[in-house]
Amino acid sequence: MFKKILIANRGEIACRVIKTARRMGIKTVAVFSEADRLARHVELADEAVCIGPPPSKESYLSIDKIIAACRETGAEAVHPGYGFLSENAEFCARLEAAGIVFIGPRAHAMKAMGDKIASKKLAIAAKVSTIPGYTDVIHDAEEAVRIAAGIGYPVMIKASAGGGGKGLRVAWNEHEAREGFQSCRNEARNSFGDDRVFIEKFIEEPRHIEIQVLGDAHGNLVYLWERECSLQRRHQKVVEEAPSPFLDEATRRAMGEQAVALARAVDYQSAGTVEFVVGRDRSFYFLEMNTRLQVEHPVTEFITGLDLVEQMILVAAGEKLAFAQQDVRLDGWAMECRINAEDPFRNFLPSIGRLVKYQPPAQVENHVRVDTGVAEGGEISMYYDPMIAKLIVHGATRDQAIMRMRDALNAFVIRGVSTNIAFQSALMQNPRFVSGNFNTSLIGEEYPHGFNAADLPHDDPALLIVAAAAIHRRYLERNATISGQMPGHEYVPGNDFVVLMNEVQHKVVATPVAGGFDVAYGGDRYALRSDWEFGQSLYQGSINGNGLCMQVERLGLKYRLSHWGTRADVQVLSAHAAELLALMPKKAPPDLSRFLLSPMPGMLTEVTVLPGQAVKAGEKLAVIEAMKMENVLKAEQDCVVDKILAKPGESLAVDQAIIAFK
Amino acid sequence: MHTIIRQLEEKREQARAGGGAQRIAAQHAKGKLTARERIELLLDPGTFEEWDMFVEHRCSDFGMDGQKVPGDGVVTGYGTINGRMVFVYSQDFTVFGGALSEAHAEKICKVMDHAMKVGVPVIGLNDSGGARIQEGVASLGGYADVFQKNVLASGVVPQISMIMGPCAGGAVYSPAMTDFIFMVKDTSYMFVTGPEVVKTVTHEEVSAEELGGATSHASRSGVADLAFENDVEALLMLRRFFNYLPLNNREQSPSRATNDPAERLDHSLDTLVPANANQPYDMKELIVKSVDDGDFFELQPEYARNIIIGFARMEGQTIGIVANQPLVLAGCLDIKSSIKAARFVRFCDAFNIPVITFVDVPGFMPGTAQEYGGIIKHGAKLLYAYAECTVPKVTVITRKAYGGAYDVMASKHLRGDVNFAWPSAEIAVMGPKGAVEIIFRKDIGDAQKIAERTEEYRQKFANPFIAGHRGFIDDVIMPNETRKRICRSLAMLKRKKLENPWRKHGNIPL
Repeated sequence: MFKKILIANRGEIACRVIKTARRMGIKTVAVFSEADRLARHVELADEAVCIGPPPSKESYLSIDKIIAACRETGAEAVHPGYGFLSENAEFCARLEAAGIVFIGPRAHAMKAMGDKIASKKLAIAAKVSTIPGYTDVIHDAEEAVRIAAGIGYPVMIKASAGGGGKGLRVAWNEHEAREGFQSCRNEARNSFGDDRVFIEKFIEEPRHIEIQVLGDAHGNLVYLWERECSLQRRHQKVVEEAPSPFLDEATRRAMGEQAVALARAVDYQSAGTVEFVVGRDRSFYFLEMNTRLQVEHPVTEFITGLDLVEQMILVAAGEKLAFAQQDVRLDGWAMECRINAEDPFRNFLPSIGRLVKYQPPAQVENHVRVDTGVAEGGEISMYYDPMIAKLIVHGATRDQAIMRMRDALNAFVIRGVSTNIAFQSALMQNPRFVSGNFNTSLIGEEYPHGFNAADLPHDDPALLIVAAAAIHRRYLERNATISGQMPGHEYVPGNDFVVLMNEVQHKVVATPVAGGFDVAYGGDRYALRSDWEFGQSLYQGSINGNGLCMQVERLGLKYRLSHWGTRADVQVLSAHAAELLALMPKKAPPDLSRFLLSPMPGMLTEVTVLPGQAVKAGEKLAVIEAMKMENVLKAEQDCVVDKILAKPGESLAVDQAIIAFK
Repeated sequence: MHTIIRQLEEKREQARAGGGAQRIAAQHAKGKLTARERIELLLDPGTFEEWDMFVEHRCSDFGMDGQKVPGDGVVTGYGTINGRMVFVYSQDFTVFGGALSEAHAEKICKVMDHAMKVGVPVIGLNDSGGARIQEGVASLGGYADVFQKNVLASGVVPQISMIMGPCAGGAVYSPAMTDFIFMVKDTSYMFVTGPEVVKTVTHEEVSAEELGGATSHASRSGVADLAFENDVEALLMLRRFFNYLPLNNREQSPSRATNDPAERLDHSLDTLVPANANQPYDMKELIVKSVDDGDFFELQPEYARNIIIGFARMEGQTIGIVANQPLVLAGCLDIKSSIKAARFVRFCDAFNIPVITFVDVPGFMPGTAQEYGGIIKHGAKLLYAYAECTVPKVTVITRKAYGGAYDVMASKHLRGDVNFAWPSAEIAVMGPKGAVEIIFRKDIGDAQKIAERTEEYRQKFANPFIAGHRGFIDDVIMPNETRKRICRSLAMLKRKKLENPWRKHGNIPL
């Protein structure tokens, strides 16, 4: 077994690999860019080597620097994690040449599967079911249009070297095929340095289901069931689960066997994933094989009880798989939410900054797992992936897993950057998702105009109202302890309140009892018990004996409560104060529709309109670059440009005005 | 007897009705509460003891003798806020537009005299059209009487003004002399001369809101300490604010139960200061993570944002916080920020509130605007305030403490009691780059040499040790233990006794 391995990655996956290596008694070496000097993976590893400036190209993607780091530290093997160099055959070969073991598949398998066109040919040869399409290199848009017509619309245009939704277009007609080909090719060239593009049939109501395979150097290959990854937003996975609520035993076996057959065709060693698209009728087609550890591997670990990183290390060290197909368990239900630094209420734009607060939910053996790459006080930089953590839960049933996920999301506290937690909470309550009857278009269909607060009505607003009253009563109680009161005339807080939420008044009586409050509201009594202390972000306890966990922030006179994805700003007042507050004028918020505001911090790269110009709704106005992504800002309505308020090249703050309209 | 009681009831009824149902409705329509409604919200329910309900004006000119309302346009008395006593006056706009008569002024003076006598704060709720013109100089005299009381009470009991309607002309000078001025957005304004006069004299066209509204004073002039959305928010927040203040200058700052451990560490602070010395960070995070329950009551948040001032608590006891804000103008000191912080430090000193200072200051702001504006004298105010201040002073240098600004920011030399530095602290006459360009002027053309010298300077001076060698820093602490070390220092300083030499008064550079 290896004595020391290097992890050529960052973030949660680097931390996760270090954890397993440590358990196996293997020393670990972290590599880091200058932006990650204080990152969690650097702290966790036994040793750490700086490999250059923040841009990935000059650090995490630099083969030379990583090999040098291995030499410097004497690491015998490299775990690449996912992304970065994990599927880079050259890296694999260079390591091999340097006498360093790559913890992953062999270069030839990686190469064969890394090219989507080549892999499809291989799949056909291995009798794996594939989507009708055109696998040769397409030279220009006209050829693309011809081929698309031959396959029949809708078609999908994909970058040969692409992955994870990058460089992918769907075309429903000739016009879109022409445009899609162009933009796909441009993006492929910019992102991957490889502008080859291919076209195939687009499957309607598709589900994305993938099979985890694992092989050793002795020809043993098993499949570790499937992962359902259909919950996607713009082709990016959002929630993954295992098993799939859609597969029956026969389909599961058929898919597993085909996946193994494909892996066998390339003598696959290590963990890999064969992705399938599954149609309404459970017909399935091979999409691609990912020759690496997947982001969502923990759900497989939860249902099989295996540690995939451990298996990868064992296999790389030349050991035989210790089990056969019939030994693989499928126990209960696992689910994973990707916690991303992005703002769901601003069209999921990336959010960067300092993690002023970061308290993931408590990990519970066999129930709740948090794979995290950051710590409180850490920095989310614009250089890397916005995924900061993965929340994984396990339950005996799918419903139980969903409930555990909802509870865990409630307890996930992040401040300083925006996250998609509210969105994940909404998905966990979405009836279609809960029913298990969904496909990859669920998010686009359920939230066609983006995600907004109105998508999050609370199941039981009474919980928020009751908790707000109890919290407020505690503040009053503490005010009563202030020194310097008039003897004999001390302040005694009352119990009767009016809770103001969404401009509706609710009468509440909160009576203190041992360990909490008995709260009367709307004819019901709520026994609220909590040991919450002032300043704590989590209000944890029970209500009528059921667990309760919500987040609370005090903002001026209001309490901001977050629970099940709903965020409510609630004010608690005496009845008299509420009466007087009702006399106060409602102030209309300032009219921001006359401005184009920067939805995120970033750099203004382009303004595409001129003062005096009339623009139609949907027309491009400006481009902002943030986290290496170009974000096109479009006109929301027909308007006339008045003034340009920011210059290209300027760095913009959130809500900074870029264009004023007439 | 019965007649008297009936008369009493009638008079009370009349006084409570103020300017009558119609004017009350008009007051509400403007989004304003009445004088009495405001007092009810401000004080603990049922604790208001009203005085001088039967006072009436004594003017007989211009038909005023026919118009008398008991109370004469101001409601006065005392009550409690969270059990602590306070004297209050609340001007009633529904009665003669809240205009100040001689009698009205007498009522205000009476509560101020009592407040001084028993040592409790005074809160004024201002909503007045100005002087009672019909009374002429008698009304002006009334103002001056109030001004004189304000000055005598200054530094003896806290005085707070809440501007909840018009406050113009001479009337502004009573609030101006109180310790804190709060305003309500859209319904209050303060100016010495109104938009009409401004237009005649300077030809500027400006609305009352723009000239003297809450937003203008909270962000441009610095006259207002806070601006609130409406009367209800203003008064409820004033209750919260009041909890921080001692009742008078002989009492310790108040304390309140807390469960936030004094020894609580916060490891996230270890990464607060960015590796790059030119990169800003939010000093408020340090404040919020250091004080009890993360509860910080900031004052003047929109004015001179390069310095932060406000109240918080440590182990339950009120403290004042002054902190440079690297996010704004790199946290440098300029005219506005010096004045803002100086006045706050003096308030804390006057009322026995310990001062915690967080320092990250690259120096004073350069430029003609600053020099012609008198930064020398205004910067000196902050220097003076810290130097004369005798309450416990604990200072934490987080990063830059350069030049004269280092001296000013509650340094050891100005009798700082406990001065800490984080490992990231750089205490020097100036930043490495500027220093090298002066010391090695002859090498300026040689970029490599300059870079080497700069690095050398950085190694030598850009750390807390030089100051440590001389005892100007008591200890270098880890950021994560900042709260703990401040709490211990404050506990140690609890019985601090320090007195300045006797004098009539110092001569602060005004």
